Amino acid sequence: MAADSYADVSGLVERSAAAYASSVPEHPADDGFFGPGSVTWRLSTDLSGPISALRSLMIQALHPLAMAGVDQHSDWRSDPVGRLAATSSYLTTVSVGDKATAERASARVRRIHGHVRGVDSVTGQPYAAGDSALLLWVHAVFVDSTIAAAQLFGTRLSAADADRYVAEMVAAAELVGVPAAKVPASAAALGRYLESVRPELRATPAARETTAYLLDPPGLDPDVAEIWQDIRAGAIGSLPGWARDMYGYEMPEPLTDARRTEIRQALGVLDTVFLGEPGVLEARQRLALRMRAARVA
Amino acid sequence: MKRAILAALTIAAPAAATVVLRRAGGLRLNRGLAALQLAVRGGARYAGNAPRLFLLAGENRQQLRNDLALQTAEDVASTLGAMKGVLMKLGQMASYVDDGLPPEARRTLGRLQDSVPPMSAELAAGVIEEELGMPPERIFAEWDPEPIAAASIGQVHRAITRDGRAVAVKVQYPGIAETIAADLGNVSLLRRMLRIIAPGQDVDSLVSELRERIVEELDYRREADNQRLFAEYYDGHPTIGVPKIVAELSTRRVVTSDLATGARFSELAGWSQHERDLAAETIYRFVFRSLYDMRAFNGDPHPGNYLFHGGGKVTFLDFGLVKHFTPAELRPLMDMARDLCVENDPEAFRRSLEDAGFLQPGAPLSTDVIVDHLAVFYDTIRKPGELTITGDYSSAVVRRFFDVRSPIAPYAQVPRSYVILQRINLGVFALLGELTATADWRGIAEEIWPFVQGPPSTPMGRAEAAWRAGRPAERIRRRAS
Repeated sequence: MAADSYADVSGLVERSAAAYASSVPEHPADDGFFGPGSVTWRLSTDLSGPISALRSLMIQALHPLAMAGVDQHSDWRSDPVGRLAATSSYLTTVSVGDKATAERASARVRRIHGHVRGVDSVTGQPYAAGDSALLLWVHAVFVDSTIAAAQLFGTRLSAADADRYVAEMVAAAELVGVPAAKVPASAAALGRYLESVRPELRATPAARETTAYLLDPPGLDPDVAEIWQDIRAGAIGSLPGWARDMYGYEMPEPLTDARRTEIRQALGVLDTVFLGEPGVLEARQRLALRMRAARVA
Repeated sequence: MKRAILAALTIAAPAAATVVLRRAGGLRLNRGLAALQLAVRGGARYAGNAPRLFLLAGENRQQLRNDLALQTAEDVASTLGAMKGVLMKLGQMASYVDDGLPPEARRTLGRLQDSVPPMSAELAAGVIEEELGMPPERIFAEWDPEPIAAASIGQVHRAITRDGRAVAVKVQYPGIAETIAADLGNVSLLRRMLRIIAPGQDVDSLVSELRERIVEELDYRREADNQRLFAEYYDGHPTIGVPKIVAELSTRRVVTSDLATGARFSELAGWSQHERDLAAETIYRFVFRSLYDMRAFNGDPHPGNYLFHGGGKVTFLDFGLVKHFTPAELRPLMDMARDLCVENDPEAFRRSLEDAGFLQPGAPLSTDVIVDHLAVFYDTIRKPGELTITGDYSSAVVRRFFDVRSPIAPYAQVPRSYVILQRINLGVFALLGELTATADWRGIAEEIWPFVQGPPSTPMGRAEAAWRAGRPAERIRRRAS
């Protein structure tokens, strides 16, 4: 299947905004697994989010078994927007939702994962989405991408806060079913883990198609597509060299301060688009108020 | 393009009542484009539509999200940096250019106008100290640490000076000037956004005009200079008031002026139609008196920039966006109005359009066609007599213009120096339409047109004539004393 077999991205903004707004609780029972003083909360509202998500998906796709599970079982090709919105809704719920809601959401994800099994046509290996090794891969890449994107394009993130974030996120991995003992709890451990998985990675045709689709989604207005070019350049530029090499991407333009500023500006435009959607501003304010209160306390 | 020329022409002849400008009929927006247009509205919505209300405490205070107050320069950057402040400005511009918002969206916009949080008291005090050398409690006899209003890139505090003047002190967000200046440097992104927001318009002109205007707005000293100019010109005017600047308390990031109080635009809804007509007459006189006599235009006709006192008395606030015209820039605008409305000479009207650069010379169009399509915008001043500017009337005019696939569009353009006119002008006429104002607009225009210098046509006109007659003598008297 070629990349053009994917449905277009119309409605991406509207649907992810609706998913986001409804995932930020109005009357939370508690502060959830991380709380308003956490690095997790801070990063969940960071401007660098879209680049972090792109980078994350691009690297996750390099694991043939993870990719096969998505490609063969989900509605990723027919409804990519719905799939992306559902994922971002889940991540928002786990990050800032209260504990009961986060647990319900992850129980649902674990249930769905239970049905996802098969044999990867590229490597011939069997896979199961509930396999904690695959779940750990997805988790670790997400955490690593959040840090990488924030450091390049977001609000300043100290090494200590990066460490804190990795440690906080162990709870998120547990929620989807990875034993805590297996989950890296520091930036250094995270780096070592990612390095250890590299021999298993391959840029399969499905990975290339997924990535091509994400980097150049059909259905964007030409002018919006031009703005997307900066996001795309930011995502490619933020990849580790080995991942870029596997896909065969050139390093776009060096990420000088000036270039990073341009990309941040494009991110700011996207964020304003997002904030213009119903409920998003209010959701952000709900979080900001709680984070403010935590800062004071 | 059509909208721009329409607006520019409207100002040339203060005639058209363009309350609601709808997007040209056949123009279809695809989703991405619609999304970014939404973003611009989002920008307006998100950042507050610059309700620069110099209000009495309490009135607007509840709307300010003090609980979300920005506490550090970093908070400011994350709220208004990365193009967000610039988008907010674009949103402000777009709200005058394309006002096709449904009432529901309008209400939302109204509710969220002040959604950019204010600075915390400490952050604002820090700016005062950096700019004026001392913390506010020492500079002023009294300082209200709670802001009374939001401004697009700052907020307004009340204070009493050491010599007892009640003043409004506008304080700029720290770091915002640098952030916005950097964002305005990304011309290619600005161009893309403007192509989406204002399709069909001359994007390069818009970009340079936008950059110039915003850069001006970032330096409050310009605003103070402009306000001083207007305050001096209208000193003693029977119905037009402009708060005086306190020069020694005004710097690049702080501007201090007399504190004005009065009714807000929204309160006029409850006033008699006679009062509303008088208020409209004053706004109209202010706009066109300033244009023709001062060659200056206050570029932000936001409803929050007026305070009303009854009897037609209006205080004009916020001179952050003033456009000054050269005599050469102003002349064609006057010529167009004179040719069409006074001399009734269509050929001369066409030549003036061409001279000003609105119309390509030698366009293969008959002069009748040109007049047909443009005269409609001079309707309120082509003939003497009372006329009511209503929202219905003006949108009907606009629809009529857009219904016909304008044959002049391919040959029309808006020269750069007139680009800002659409922003100014649409806002002004939108206000008059909202007031459903009745007046003999032609009679007032004749008083103001330098090429007619007609006699006073209303009681306010007589009072204004007396003021004008007294001005030089008044000046001499002041100089002598």
